[in-house]
Amino acid sequence: MKKGWIAGVMAWALALLLVMPGQGMASKGKIKIGSVYIFSGFAATYGQFAKQGLLLAVDEINKSGGILGKNLEVYFEDSHAKPPIALRAIRKLVYEKHVDFLIGLDSSGVAKGVVPYLKELKVPLIITHAATPDVTGSQCNRYTFRVSVNINQNVMAAAKIAAKTKAIKWTTVGPDYAFGHQSWEYFQKYLSKLNPKARFMKTVAFPKIATEDYSPYITSIMAAKPDGVFISLWSGDLVNFVKQANKMGFFKQKFTVLMSLGAATEVLYALKDQMPTGIWVGTRYWFLANNTPLNKHFVEAYKARYGVYPSYNAQNAYSAVYALKAAIEKAGTTEKMAVIKALEGLTFEAPAGKIYIRPQDHQGILNVTWGRTAADPNYPIRILKPMIIFNGAEVTPKAEETGCKMQ
Amino acid sequence: METLLINALNGFCYGMLLFIISIGLTIIFGVMGVLNFAHGSFYMLGAYLCFQVVSSLHSFWLGLLIAPFLVGLLGLATEAAFLRPLYGRDASYQLLLTFGILLILDDGVKLIWGAGYHSVEPPRLLSGTIPILGNTYPIYSIFIAILGPITALALWLFFHKTSWGKMIRAAAMDREMASAIGINVPLLFTTVFFLGTFLAGMAGVLAAPLRAIGPAMGDNIIIAAFIVVVVGGLGSFKGAFIGAIILGLMDALGIQFVPQIQMALPYLILALVLLVRPKGLFGKE
Repeated sequence: MKKGWIAGVMAWALALLLVMPGQGMASKGKIKIGSVYIFSGFAATYGQFAKQGLLLAVDEINKSGGILGKNLEVYFEDSHAKPPIALRAIRKLVYEKHVDFLIGLDSSGVAKGVVPYLKELKVPLIITHAATPDVTGSQCNRYTFRVSVNINQNVMAAAKIAAKTKAIKWTTVGPDYAFGHQSWEYFQKYLSKLNPKARFMKTVAFPKIATEDYSPYITSIMAAKPDGVFISLWSGDLVNFVKQANKMGFFKQKFTVLMSLGAATEVLYALKDQMPTGIWVGTRYWFLANNTPLNKHFVEAYKARYGVYPSYNAQNAYSAVYALKAAIEKAGTTEKMAVIKALEGLTFEAPAGKIYIRPQDHQGILNVTWGRTAADPNYPIRILKPMIIFNGAEVTPKAEETGCKMQ
Repeated sequence: METLLINALNGFCYGMLLFIISIGLTIIFGVMGVLNFAHGSFYMLGAYLCFQVVSSLHSFWLGLLIAPFLVGLLGLATEAAFLRPLYGRDASYQLLLTFGILLILDDGVKLIWGAGYHSVEPPRLLSGTIPILGNTYPIYSIFIAILGPITALALWLFFHKTSWGKMIRAAAMDREMASAIGINVPLLFTTVFFLGTFLAGMAGVLAAPLRAIGPAMGDNIIIAAFIVVVVGGLGSFKGAFIGAIILGLMDALGIQFVPQIQMALPYLILALVLLVRPKGLFGKE
């Protein structure tokens, strides 16, 4: 019995970690949207932001008469950041709740695991966060759309900034899964084209997700003496990294620092004054990036309802609902294939600016914001000064280059 | 060479934090035979309470004083109310219960503090850096590296030099005999659970300035703590100390020399130790 004890405990532990409950509601005779994000664990804040943005849009639309006279009804499910659980959640939404459309997905890993099954489920999905190029590239299909900035776009902008600095020797710190490795791969690809002199070091750091102690990585990178460091950590991992890097004097070194998702408001709110100033940061939406009435309305309405400036995940989910509205109205029906046709080539207004959904690969083309962190007494968090806005078309690879064969 | 030494120091500092987390786990197991799955959640609660104290009273030191105590009190209440009826039953009951507590605490902090990330700054006294081998090294890490052995010493003195500590050890060896000679074993167990969760809370406070305080932050550390405790020997005091140092060093040096397999290293060590010494390095027969 004694010997089986440890094995037994481990088996229990594993079993317990895998089982966790989801959530749902019920209604009928409406346009039903199924929504899958991370609602538990270390990145639960992303699901919460997405839900808030999504509900804001849904409430606005329902108050003003719905879409084609029909009200929207949303069902949320938790992906737990795990592809099999996300797929199960989507199947549940499609087969049990009979949702008409899907909006969601944080994490590239989850998106890659789910997207191939949409052809079988035959329900359109609008991705609002997961950034792997593959879902609008090698894995693209008629049912999958994305209205948010992907790795290509974000990293192409990073490479343009990097090419203007004096840095030659570059290294990276990124999470050890698809997102981190692809970010670095594309950064090298784009930067070496823009600046043939650029060199990419052998010393790189790919800490696993939810690493506790970054100090050995920080020590190794500092000892390697790079000219520039491209950081693709995100969420709580980025907060952990910045706090520990601060303590070790990482940001006082001579090298240039680029953080592809450093301008995410949840990270800036967590770090406040601990976020160093003067470093380059990117994001998938920046609430001060444009002065359109729609953006002003969105930022004010969001802040009034939830008390904080909207994060990119909130904006992206909000936009996806309006993309759906525009497409359904253009199609004049909620029939799925008709809406898919309407989404292809659609241009719609979002707080982030005009978004064009390219018909060849279903990738949204929108402005990409980068900037340098700066303190401002009018804001509780670091803001971007100067801010650089890249036109979507100039940072998006051509449709032929994405590897997408639309089916 | 310098990088090696700095990384060894990194590993040692992390190891000491791991030790403070693991020692509570191993004490509770060693004395009570309970594998506390919620240990990581008590750790998380310590960090959140520290954040709360720092934001309302603006003092990290008060956080270090108050938060572990509150976590310990919650542990005490949990033991008295829920765990006590389960002694003598199969270990899986206790595991299920403590996992339930984990779920409640994880969702509880989300209800109270939201799903977002929070942050605590280290006290001014410890926030600077000192030069070591031509590198700047954070004083806060040195602080933890010193606090680890101090905690170990204090606990050793408690268990070996105080009558309460001796009673606990007696009860750990033979529950029935201990109660036969007049030791109030249930009360003793409650204090042990207080001590264990107090240490988890303290580790949470100490980790708070180093990382993002967020939901489920205990779920990862609990796996590391389990490995430390199993490698060192379940219930072994010395084992937790040595195990934590081994794991901390493996982590830091693994990143420097074999980054490709660094993630697997703790599990490889675990497997190796279980193969060669199934009871752990310092486990008792």
